[in-house]
Amino acid sequence: MRSLVVTGVMALLLGLSAGAASAQSQDPVIAAASDLQFAVEEIAAAFAEETGMRVRLSMGSTGNFARQIREGAPYEIFMAADETFIEDLHADGFTRDEGDLYAIGRLVMVVPHGSALEADGSLDTLAAALQDGRINRFAIANPEHAPYGMRAEEVLRHRGLWDDLQPFMVLGENVSQAAQFALSGNAEGGIIAYSLVLAPHVRERGAHELIPEEWHRPLRQRMALLNNAGPVAEAFYDYINGPAAREIMERYGFVLPGDE
Amino acid sequence: MDWTALSLSLQLAGWTVLILLPVSILMGRFLAYRRFRAKGLVEALVMLPLVLPPTVFGFYLLVAFGANSPIGQFWRETFGHQLVFTFEGLVVASVIFNLPFAIQPAQRGFEAIPLEVREAAQCSGLSPWRSLMRIELPLAWPGVLTAMVLTFAHTLGEFGIVLMVGGSIPGETKTIAIAIYDRVQAFDDRSAGIMAATLLAISLATITATFWLSARIGRRLS
Amino acid sequence: MALDVMARASAPIPLDIAFRVEPGEMLALVGHSGSGKSTMLRTIAGLWRPTEARVAVNGETWLDTAKRIDLAPHRRRVGIVFQSYALFPHMTALANVMAAMGHVASGERETRARRLLSLVNLEGLEERRPAALSGGQQQRVAVARALAREPAALLLDEPFSAVDRATRERLYREIAQLRSHLAMPTILVTHDMEEARLLADRMVVIEEGRVIAAGTTAEVMFDAGALKTMGHRDVGASLPAVIEAREEDGLVRLSTTAGPVWLPRADGDPGTQVRLRILAHDVMIARQRPAGISALNVLQGTVTGMVEGEGPGVVLRLDVGGGEILASLTARSVKALELAPGVSCHAIIKAMAIARDDTRSASAPRP
Repeated sequence: MRSLVVTGVMALLLGLSAGAASAQSQDPVIAAASDLQFAVEEIAAAFAEETGMRVRLSMGSTGNFARQIREGAPYEIFMAADETFIEDLHADGFTRDEGDLYAIGRLVMVVPHGSALEADGSLDTLAAALQDGRINRFAIANPEHAPYGMRAEEVLRHRGLWDDLQPFMVLGENVSQAAQFALSGNAEGGIIAYSLVLAPHVRERGAHELIPEEWHRPLRQRMALLNNAGPVAEAFYDYINGPAAREIMERYGFVLPGDE
Repeated sequence: MDWTALSLSLQLAGWTVLILLPVSILMGRFLAYRRFRAKGLVEALVMLPLVLPPTVFGFYLLVAFGANSPIGQFWRETFGHQLVFTFEGLVVASVIFNLPFAIQPAQRGFEAIPLEVREAAQCSGLSPWRSLMRIELPLAWPGVLTAMVLTFAHTLGEFGIVLMVGGSIPGETKTIAIAIYDRVQAFDDRSAGIMAATLLAISLATITATFWLSARIGRRLS
Repeated sequence: MALDVMARASAPIPLDIAFRVEPGEMLALVGHSGSGKSTMLRTIAGLWRPTEARVAVNGETWLDTAKRIDLAPHRRRVGIVFQSYALFPHMTALANVMAAMGHVASGERETRARRLLSLVNLEGLEERRPAALSGGQQQRVAVARALAREPAALLLDEPFSAVDRATRERLYREIAQLRSHLAMPTILVTHDMEEARLLADRMVVIEEGRVIAAGTTAEVMFDAGALKTMGHRDVGASLPAVIEAREEDGLVRLSTTAGPVWLPRADGDPGTQVRLRILAHDVMIARQRPAGISALNVLQGTVTGMVEGEGPGVVLRLDVGGGEILASLTARSVKALELAPGVSCHAIIKAMAIARDDTRSASAPRP
């Protein structure tokens, strides 16, 4: 009886290992900044439908991906939320070329339903709430490695709220996580990516307002093919630059380079 | 439900158990029987992953196996790709990180064998290998089994190290624990909930089945 | 075929012992706990290596520290019965015995094992696990397992200490019977001199890692140094007796080779064979049959030997109708009574105990 169980388990394991690993190992992996969570998913789905080719998506913070790429991570395309990361990687020889600007990002202030705060792009309500002591938690992405977090810091400093907000700040690993924190009901709100709140199931969780883009350095989002990019990655890269993808990007609030 | 991620998690746990089983038996036995001056140090080293935060471990693993390390470069030259960010890299990390779970319960199992019984085995003409197979393992197996179950369950749930050493590459290093994290960030609570419940169910089932099995075998032997 | 042992060490206990055991001989290693006797067994078995030692059996060297020879225990054809028996708990009695038969062709193992188990009177219990066996039965399995190895030397480490007195008596008889099958040198480790006297041919008395007396059991029993080591008080002898009847006034009568004796209490039905333990200091001597004394048990006997102790003490050996008892006197009394080998006298026994369950020993009323 015991040997039967052991044999069964072994067979299962070996079967699993033979099966799953090979199937998807050919599709290229795209590293995409978290603000692209919904936009790039849609683009990839459209790409698959149109060409029959598939890509695998990995979402995370731009800074994190840049580090991983330097350590040899096998991504074939890197879609960063801040072009300086692409420029640095290119200077160090990790990308094929300088890449392309694919979008300009925007920041929003967001509050969940029932928050003590109101969504206000000028952040006046935030300032007032801070004065009144109505703020418990406020979420942004981690400025150490997430471009949207860096911009949020710039915005807050611009308004002189950065220091006062320190004790209440919650940092997301990337801007998606920051959005999660901001809208979970456990915080009064946060500053996150515009593209994220445009997804219907996110939008319905709260209210948002755009923050003036003059208050921060522009979010020039650039992408590039990495050294080991193959034909499928190249095709996808071109697709992102094409009309179908651009239309999707627009729906997610990304100002496109052509309209700049 | 991300079946690929689930499959990855099960494979990672499975391979870890497979590799650590002989380590568990041999190291557990060695530490149970021998007394030597460096023993305290060895036991502390084995216990280290229990007390270190996963991120510290992940950091040192990256330093040790990453692209800029001798091991990483050797791997790249031999196999054509990195050790980090691959399933194999996860297995290496998982094996190291699970050492205390694999060794300590097994060590307790071997320690529970009365010294005179082991001596009687030697004096009955049993070589160390025969003694292990016919006397010691039949007596110490509950400890070894506990070690393997803990290792399996712990690997299924491992997150920090997997993320640092593996990244989140679908089909390669995106285990179910990471997939759950990923879905939460994508505001997809439904998928996250399904996967979390599945992981919980698998873990419970594994542990329950193992202890049921061990009770049966225990009854048979006593 | 003989076993030669020499061992010297300074830690964990000081050790300086050497002896030799002939084939078919049983040697008793007697001493208190910590004296080094178990250490000697472990050295022979290969479970411990003293700083300086030599063990040779049958011409084969098992251990020689000078020549850096040290065979692992599983390479030494040694059979050892541990104090705790150390049976393999997950195996049946039969499997335990078969486990030591690695050197036997697998087809033959079961037959031989069964034969051994029946030799130690365990027929019918082969399929039992140790947990389902009594102490005495476990001990027998341990003996069978040790013999299964077909050892060149048999070592018994206080094999009877964990068993109650009644079982012990039975086991003594069985071991005695087994002796005829034991052609190899055997060592019995014990702290009980009486046990050594009953079972062994020769004795080595050890104290603090040194030999203080060695020789045949008779020689050693009267060695002054040995007596002092084991405590003069421990010196005694035992007489076989049979319970005869419970008399009207409550006393129980037993018969011995030297005549009837009475005890206030003796559990057992008439016909039960027992052993009466009589300590030397519980025996007084009279040249004539005494009259008007309270002691009930007086046996007639002849002096066969005398041993001077330290100081004024002397121990007398008496033959009482074939059995032997010992009496402890002062040298002055010996002189006054003109006692010498060959002289006839009467032994007045103040107390004796039935060698049985220790919690229920009987003693004769003191005068």
